[in-house]
Amino acid sequence: MAHNELILTDVTKRFGGLTAVDALSFKVESGQIYGIIGPNGAGKTTVFNCITGIYKSEEGSVLWRGEEIRGKTPYQIVDRGIVRTFQTIRLFGQMSVAENIMSGRHIKSTQRWWHGIIPTPGKKRDELKNWQKVEEQLDFFKLSEFAATPVGSLPYGLQRRVEIARAMAVEPTLLILDEPAAGLNDKETLELLDTIFKIRDKGVTVLLIEHDMDMVMEVTDYLTVINFGKKIAEGTPEEIQKNPAVIEAYLGSEDDDDE
Amino acid sequence: MKELQKFAYPVFFVVMAVLPHMLDDRWQAVAITFLIFAVVALSQDIILGKCGMFNMGQALFFGMGAYTTAILNNEYGWSIIATIPLAIIIPAVFGILLAGPIVHLRGDYLLVVTIGFNIVFVQVLQNNLGGVTGGPNGIFGLDSLSFLGYDLMSQISVYYFAFIVLLLTLWVMHNLAGSKPGRAMHYLREDQLAAESIGINTRVYKIFSFGLGAGIAGLAGTVYATQYSAVSPEAFEFIQSVLFFSIVLVGGSSVPGVLIGVFVMFVLPEIFREFATWRYFIFGFAMIAAMIMRPRGIWPATFGKIPKFLIKENNHGA
Repeated sequence: MAHNELILTDVTKRFGGLTAVDALSFKVESGQIYGIIGPNGAGKTTVFNCITGIYKSEEGSVLWRGEEIRGKTPYQIVDRGIVRTFQTIRLFGQMSVAENIMSGRHIKSTQRWWHGIIPTPGKKRDELKNWQKVEEQLDFFKLSEFAATPVGSLPYGLQRRVEIARAMAVEPTLLILDEPAAGLNDKETLELLDTIFKIRDKGVTVLLIEHDMDMVMEVTDYLTVINFGKKIAEGTPEEIQKNPAVIEAYLGSEDDDDE
Repeated sequence: MKELQKFAYPVFFVVMAVLPHMLDDRWQAVAITFLIFAVVALSQDIILGKCGMFNMGQALFFGMGAYTTAILNNEYGWSIIATIPLAIIIPAVFGILLAGPIVHLRGDYLLVVTIGFNIVFVQVLQNNLGGVTGGPNGIFGLDSLSFLGYDLMSQISVYYFAFIVLLLTLWVMHNLAGSKPGRAMHYLREDQLAAESIGINTRVYKIFSFGLGAGIAGLAGTVYATQYSAVSPEAFEFIQSVLFFSIVLVGGSSVPGVLIGVFVMFVLPEIFREFATWRYFIFGFAMIAAMIMRPRGIWPATFGKIPKFLIKENNHGA
């Protein structure tokens, strides 16, 4: 069986003259909670976009379970078990929480196009099965009471939770979280930490970007620090905290960046 | 609103079922027109309302169905009923072929391309391509409806033919709403990037919506050809597409909304016949007012079609 490993080798992404990600390499192992940190504009989200197929990197390779996924489309990458959330929450705003989570069941559903026209007993069973899976996610994320609420009318913290629930409905192998704690208060951040640990306990590998240093140090097993698209350090949270290059990148740039 | 719908649908169906027996010839014709255009507007709703694709060429598929029936009946002597499968399949295949290269275009660009398709289609009809479309005059003298050896010449038969087609369309739309393809269309309309990032191949479902919408419009075309025993190019001009487009936007992407839109556009002018020349004027102002006051349509699309077992006590909203 192929290992559930994500290996980036020399990934480079340019926008015109700007090199957003510069020969970046790192390796996420199965079962890890892996963090990517760096100052604003360091290229963290661009890395995620390269992994999830929203951008195609110009150079380098993205290997997932030994397969090259660079240049695959986002839905092909989801099909291989990698699902992401967004820094700016992207939910289906007018639809209910349950329907939003149901979107994660799309690739697991066995329905074909003609089931949109003619119903069959098989379709009915498939619908029921997937709605039950949605119910499981609603329970797991404590969202049951909001099942029928349009997601756009929920507070920010709950919307974050719905987005993670939607991603988990896909039953991913690798969950990618883009700044999951952004905009959350302390209590919500603690709940989020708890949720991330529970997700890992389900056997899902987690890759996350975060600004909140306290949270990163607490939750991650291993870290890569990037600045100006380049890796400046990697290691366990303890090692990173002592690393002079990291301290300089964060503290030395305090004048122009208060994150 | 939900309670109202529970009552309104059976009442609507019963009224529509007995309606032709209470109307004279002229009003029967109006009622048939209402049914046909309701089907076309609903097929437009699948593409524009459900899937969010700015299609301004729905009259093309409507006309393609009508011409398929007319040509097969007139040139090859098929009975009207026998032409139905091809009157659905040919527009559907064209819908898929035309949509394939263009669905990735952003809303406004797609709109211009579909207008172009519609104009080309009408030009082809007027120039009598292949010598079968009858040129600017179209094709007339089609056979009347017959089924299993029975001649169904009366206008009432045409009415029920149209009514069955409407029921079939509503049934398909109901199935679509509670299915994976139907939901995928909603998701991609709401946020295409999010839909792709959750595993939906948006291109496939956009093309699917075009194929399905075109097939249903083609079926409506068969009924149209039957009603008038004739087809001609001006019935499928680009301005017709604009009307269907506006009906979905003004009515809102819901069955009641679309039916209200069709009623206002095609039936009210008949009731106030002396004002007939005013209808575009009045409808124009109605469109402006509706869009300002109700930007999501008179009767907006309702979401929240989720199974009952998910809705717990002390639920918020809904």
